[in-house]
Amino acid sequence: MITNDKKSVAFKTLGCRLNQYETDALVTDFSNAGYELVDYNASPDVVIINTCTVTNQSDTKSRSVISQTARKAKNAVVVVTGCMANNFKEKLESQENITFVVENSRKSSILSLIDAHFSGEIAHPDQLPQDVFRYEPVRKSLHTRSAVKIQDGCDNFCTFCIIPMVRGMAASRPVADVLESVRKTVENGFKELVITGVNIGRYEDGTVRFEELLAKILEVPGDFRVRISSLEPDGFGDDFVKLFDHPKLMPHLHLCLQSGSDKTLLRMRRMYDVAQFRKTVNKFRTVYPDFNFTTDIIVGFPGETDEEFQQTVDAIKEFNFSHIHTFKYSVRKGTRAERLENHLPEKVKTERSLKVRDLSVENMRRYLESFIGKTQEVLVEKIGQGTASGYGQHYIPVHFKLIGAQKNMIVKVKLTGLVGDDEDMFLSGEIVNNS
Amino acid sequence: MMSLMKPDIQMDESFYKVEEIRHLTGETFSLKLPKARFAFKAGQHISMGIVGGNQSREYSIYSGENDENLEVLIKEVENGYFTPRLRRLKVGSMVEVHGPFGKFGMEPELAAKGKFVFIASGTGIAPFRSIVHTYPEIDYRIIHGVRYSKEAYDRQEYAGDRYTLCTSRDKDGDYYGRLTGYLKTCKFAPETHFDLCGNSNMIFDALEILKEKGFDRDQIHCEVYF
Ligand SMILES: Cc1cc2nc3c(=O)[nH]c(=O)nc-3n(C[C@H](O)[C@H](O)[C@H](O)COP(=O)(O)OP(=O)(O)OC[C@H]3O[C@@H](n4cnc5c(N)ncnc54)[C@H](O)[C@@H]3O)c2cc1C
Ligand code: SF4
Repeated sequence: MITNDKKSVAFKTLGCRLNQYETDALVTDFSNAGYELVDYNASPDVVIINTCTVTNQSDTKSRSVISQTARKAKNAVVVVTGCMANNFKEKLESQENITFVVENSRKSSILSLIDAHFSGEIAHPDQLPQDVFRYEPVRKSLHTRSAVKIQDGCDNFCTFCIIPMVRGMAASRPVADVLESVRKTVENGFKELVITGVNIGRYEDGTVRFEELLAKILEVPGDFRVRISSLEPDGFGDDFVKLFDHPKLMPHLHLCLQSGSDKTLLRMRRMYDVAQFRKTVNKFRTVYPDFNFTTDIIVGFPGETDEEFQQTVDAIKEFNFSHIHTFKYSVRKGTRAERLENHLPEKVKTERSLKVRDLSVENMRRYLESFIGKTQEVLVEKIGQGTASGYGQHYIPVHFKLIGAQKNMIVKVKLTGLVGDDEDMFLSGEIVNNS
Repeated sequence: MMSLMKPDIQMDESFYKVEEIRHLTGETFSLKLPKARFAFKAGQHISMGIVGGNQSREYSIYSGENDENLEVLIKEVENGYFTPRLRRLKVGSMVEVHGPFGKFGMEPELAAKGKFVFIASGTGIAPFRSIVHTYPEIDYRIIHGVRYSKEAYDRQEYAGDRYTLCTSRDKDGDYYGRLTGYLKTCKFAPETHFDLCGNSNMIFDALEILKEKGFDRDQIHCEVYF
């Protein structure tokens, strides 16, 4: 219970890294303004729920978090924002347990809305300015890794995806702004930055495209390393591959394949084929043989035949993704895929999804095992009882004995074994030399 | 046709009054809207809704970048939800337009020096008409696959030697059979750029044929309707 005059705020976040980043930036905003950050069970004055709508499950989860939170934080000002707020704005606005519904494009100004509310003004979220990049650089203390938002929106209109409807058209943050945000985030103490957006490969500010922006980010002075959140396989030139020579850029890409069948890819309106994807993967692995590729796969897309699914299985084996984010296709209302023919029975989707999960675990084991005997520079994220853990350069999970290591330190760890046999498996090792 | 719509009647950036309806076949028609300040690149599409309705669909822009109107070409789909409603629109009805969207289309520098083959099924011809209107000097060929020869929408606008009509249900086109059958018989210069638009099955088959002919996937661009 808060006893002083200081107002308190609690956050709940669902969904993707971009949403998480936007929450972190809001937390920074509120704490800079003197709000106390509390758990939503601790009777906060304000609760902000940053929702997700990417699948039906996300909608259900978002709805249940809203009702649970509103029930627990009875007297709080309840703000619902995020993609679900865009997708179901009117419905949410009619709910009595919600004080404000704030669209994504106005999310960065929630603090002004709350300040206005507490000072007795009659404020309406639609009066807030629209700016998808007006976020504060994230303050250290929340996580060991901070996202830097460079882009928002997408107008690819993949047939299964609701994102273009809720995040709007593609927009790129000006180069100078991005670099300033990188500088400040590094000044705030972060050792690892994740370049984030909805479709970051489409970054374009004047003549500066994604690859050029990345090169500029890597030249910002400071002791930090850079990851790329998730990329569409839009076709990359040799210059992009070369960028990974830079010691700050980590050898991992989450490149979204979605399906290993060219026919399915066309029905998804994904404008690359498996051969182009192969070209990209081979370009990287020729130069960096242990480069880590992870991916997203949708199984059971309308019309997916056994043969098409088999092509996906073959692609997973060929490209050796060390982790696969598997989505069982589910209808999103308002998307083109909703109107496609031959929707598959749930049973088939479940079988296919299990198969992909098994392959993912198998690939992961093989990939992690290939690191035994090697060393990785691990950013320490968690400290437990006598152990520490974090991710190595290749984005592989590593646990080791805690000897002098602290959170947010980068330590060299010699990898000695593999622990576990499911998706939570990790490499164990020993610190060889603190840096 | 006289313009029935004055720009000042436009209520909002996204609301447009239908200015003219052209009936091209029993099922296919075009809607002409005032262009006003709507800027786009030939090949892009818009999302269109009917005022008062709660659904929208994507339509490639059928007119050129500098044409007087913003025009879309629509085929009424049997048992479709939206197209029968579009079909009932009258001159003066309001539609809601968002966009333009998409990367499919033509860059001016490429239009000036490139060699193009446009491959379309049905209303997939729309973005190519927009490109040809915008770049009248462009070096192009169109291969258009339809069922009946009456579906050769606005054929008279393309020079005869640049347009090939493939008809699968009557023999009044330039080639009797599917466009993919015709494509197999064609020879193209190695530096040709290919742009494909229409349904995904046609695009898949055409891609396979072009790849077999030795063309690189990077020379081929696709716009999938369904
Ligand atoms: C980028 C893009 C651009 C498009 N441009 C055009 C265009 O210029 N002109 C146009 O007519 N349509 C175009 N479409 C298709 C359009 O968006 C609608 O899908 C179409 O008008 C049918 O809508 P509906 O609600 O009547 O049928 P729906 O209920 O949406 O669809 C029913 C079924 O009809 C079939 N179908 C969809 N479109 C067509 C079509 N054009 N011809 C034959 N069968 C079809 C599909 O099998 C679909 O599953 C485009 C689609 C995309 C993604
Ligand atoms: S690229 Fe496709 S899947 Fe990714 S956000 Fe855009 S529409 Fe969605």
